[in-house]
Amino acid sequence: MAAGAFGIKPPRRLERATSARLRIFTMVVVALLLSTVVWTRLAYWQVLRHGQLAQQAAAQYREVVELPAIRGAIFDRHLTQLVVNTTVYSAFVSPDQVPVAQRHQVATALSSVLGVNQNAVMETLASGSKFAYILRRFSKEKADQLRAMKLQGVGLEEEQQRSYLPGISSTSTLAANLLGFVTYDGQGQYGIEAQYQKSLAGTPGYISSYRDLANREIVLGSHTHQDPVQGSDLVTSLDANIQYAAEQALANGVKKARAESGSVLIMDPKTGGIVAWADYPSYSANNFNRTPTAMFKDNVLSYVYEPGSVMKVVTLSGAMDAGAIKPNTVIDDPGALYIGGYRISDWDGRNHGKITYTYVLEHSLNVGAMKAMQAEGHKKFYGYLQSFGLTRPSGIDVAGENSVAPPSASTMADSQYATTAFGQGIDVNMVQMLSAINVVANGGKYAPPHVVERIGNRINPVMLQPQRQVISAKTAKQMTAMMQAVVQYGSGWTARVHGFENDQTGKTGTSQIPIKGKYTQNVWASYVGFLPADHPRFTMIVVIRKPNVPGADQDWTLNDGYFTAAPVWQKIAQAMVVSWHITPDRK
Amino acid sequence: MISTRILTRRRQGAAGAQHVPAPVRRRRRTRGFVQVASMAAADRLHLNAFGHAYLGLGAVVICVLFYLALAAQITQASYDIARLQDQQRQLVAEQDQLQYQEVTRHAPAEVQRAAAQSGMDRTTPTKFVVPQPVAINLQAPIGAAPTDSTPLWQRMVAAVVDRVVGAHDVMAATR
Repeated sequence: MAAGAFGIKPPRRLERATSARLRIFTMVVVALLLSTVVWTRLAYWQVLRHGQLAQQAAAQYREVVELPAIRGAIFDRHLTQLVVNTTVYSAFVSPDQVPVAQRHQVATALSSVLGVNQNAVMETLASGSKFAYILRRFSKEKADQLRAMKLQGVGLEEEQQRSYLPGISSTSTLAANLLGFVTYDGQGQYGIEAQYQKSLAGTPGYISSYRDLANREIVLGSHTHQDPVQGSDLVTSLDANIQYAAEQALANGVKKARAESGSVLIMDPKTGGIVAWADYPSYSANNFNRTPTAMFKDNVLSYVYEPGSVMKVVTLSGAMDAGAIKPNTVIDDPGALYIGGYRISDWDGRNHGKITYTYVLEHSLNVGAMKAMQAEGHKKFYGYLQSFGLTRPSGIDVAGENSVAPPSASTMADSQYATTAFGQGIDVNMVQMLSAINVVANGGKYAPPHVVERIGNRINPVMLQPQRQVISAKTAKQMTAMMQAVVQYGSGWTARVHGFENDQTGKTGTSQIPIKGKYTQNVWASYVGFLPADHPRFTMIVVIRKPNVPGADQDWTLNDGYFTAAPVWQKIAQAMVVSWHITPDRK
Repeated sequence: MISTRILTRRRQGAAGAQHVPAPVRRRRRTRGFVQVASMAAADRLHLNAFGHAYLGLGAVVICVLFYLALAAQITQASYDIARLQDQQRQLVAEQDQLQYQEVTRHAPAEVQRAAAQSGMDRTTPTKFVVPQPVAINLQAPIGAAPTDSTPLWQRMVAAVVDRVVGAHDVMAATR
């Protein structure tokens, strides 16, 4: 029962004491709440956001200036510089700093020096934004003109650019597909620029110092300085003159054959160093930003094709090295063979009767190649494909290699062994094929293909590796004689170089292009050879893709390698003979 | 009444007074150079408090002026460095451009263009000189020396001339 009900009141003193306690308690609670809020906020800023705030503070008083590393140059074998670093300029405006009265004058000046649209500049100036580029990456002459004008609110920014040597036309640069290019942010793309990005780019350094409120450097403050490590120069095995001659001859050959594209690859037989690497059509690496991406593709390394009869050099070399055949072994060529349920015929389908293997190579007969493979056996044949480097990527030091490995030896059908013997049903790239043929030129040894010979002061380790013996020197010599016969008596007659008719080797190749599993009338035409025969100075392969020579619809052999690729080979070889002072060994 | 206990305490107190530790020596503060110099100056110049204040203020002003001069010099030096760095960048850019021009001038494309302009275009030779077989039989036996077919009168004249002017070795004379 409540006390009040009986008219009893609690003592007033007790009432006051309770009220005071309550107030104190409330105040403590409020104070605790408030301090909790403050502490929480402090913890948020000091603990959770510490890193970000510290960064922001450092950004205000600390300045880190990057010291860019100079990208290494690329040289050819005669130390001709193929790429030069140049400085270009970009013009920008700060529209909010250009007084309204001066806008027209600034726009006119920019338009007259840089050739930009005056109205567009006026629009930019009227936008009131803080920063806008007017034109990027122009020459120093224009920058000097602009600097002399001292336009208000207009600034210049320096940037580095890679400049490449001019090529055969204004739309291409020398060896563009091999060298690649460097993007505006310094990243190498395609070719050597991409492959050797780390060595070429170097490591940038920096200067770290403190700045005051007015952005002045505090001279007595602490400084950190790290020098940049400059990029290494590369010395390649290329010859700029031969490269140019190859590009010119190739362009003429592709145009003459009305082909889709073409490529040339030239190798130093002893070292495996690439002397020339030409593609047509090509592009200008100086204008890479205005070039369709499809043009950057390098057909030498990334385009796989069926080599055709060029492959017979590998097949017959392997069979001779295994002791299965000899150059003068006589076989019967009825014009076709039935293998694995397929009838596989010679290119002419004729009965050639009793012939030697030298004749087989001279006249590029498929039946002879298949018989050589059969005499050798599948296992050994596959082993030689591996030794010649046709079952794995070549490993050349250029970015973007594409290769298709054949099926394993046990899963390959009889018919595929048969077609592989004469270069159909196997996919290779040009580097793989040339390296394989080069085994014959190099006395039976496989020279690892490479482009770069020196990186800074270091020799490319590839060059120091021992070369592996693929076939015996005797077999290589026999095959050399057979390939000479191809030029003297067979399909290689269109590649004869004046003065070297008896001292050069060669082999034509033509293979039909399959589309959706069926062979079409479009072909890859190729020619490979080396010169002089006994002491070769170079090995060269020319591939013309989808030639369409006038009259080929009546006589399809006009698209063959002897008619499209061999003349290109002959012209480049002629230039090399003159440029390298090559003399024949025999008459 | 004084108890023995109190007496004992007093004695102890007197005895304790005898063992009062020696007063701690205060280290004299060494006068600094400025203090000594200012006191000496004040003694000589008979400066009062205002004089001291003026003297101090003057020293401060001199320090501020010195600092300002130093700061101005540093600022000027930093401007010079910035200007020189900019100049260096421009020179490097110019050097790069000249290098590219030089390299381009020796590029195959440029060489061919220049050659074509001056009519020195290289054409593919249509014929090469084929060496003729040399008609020397190295296996043939060495025979007798060939007979001298010089006319007799010429030999006579040569003999006379040789005696008069002395013999000459033709090969040696061409040296």
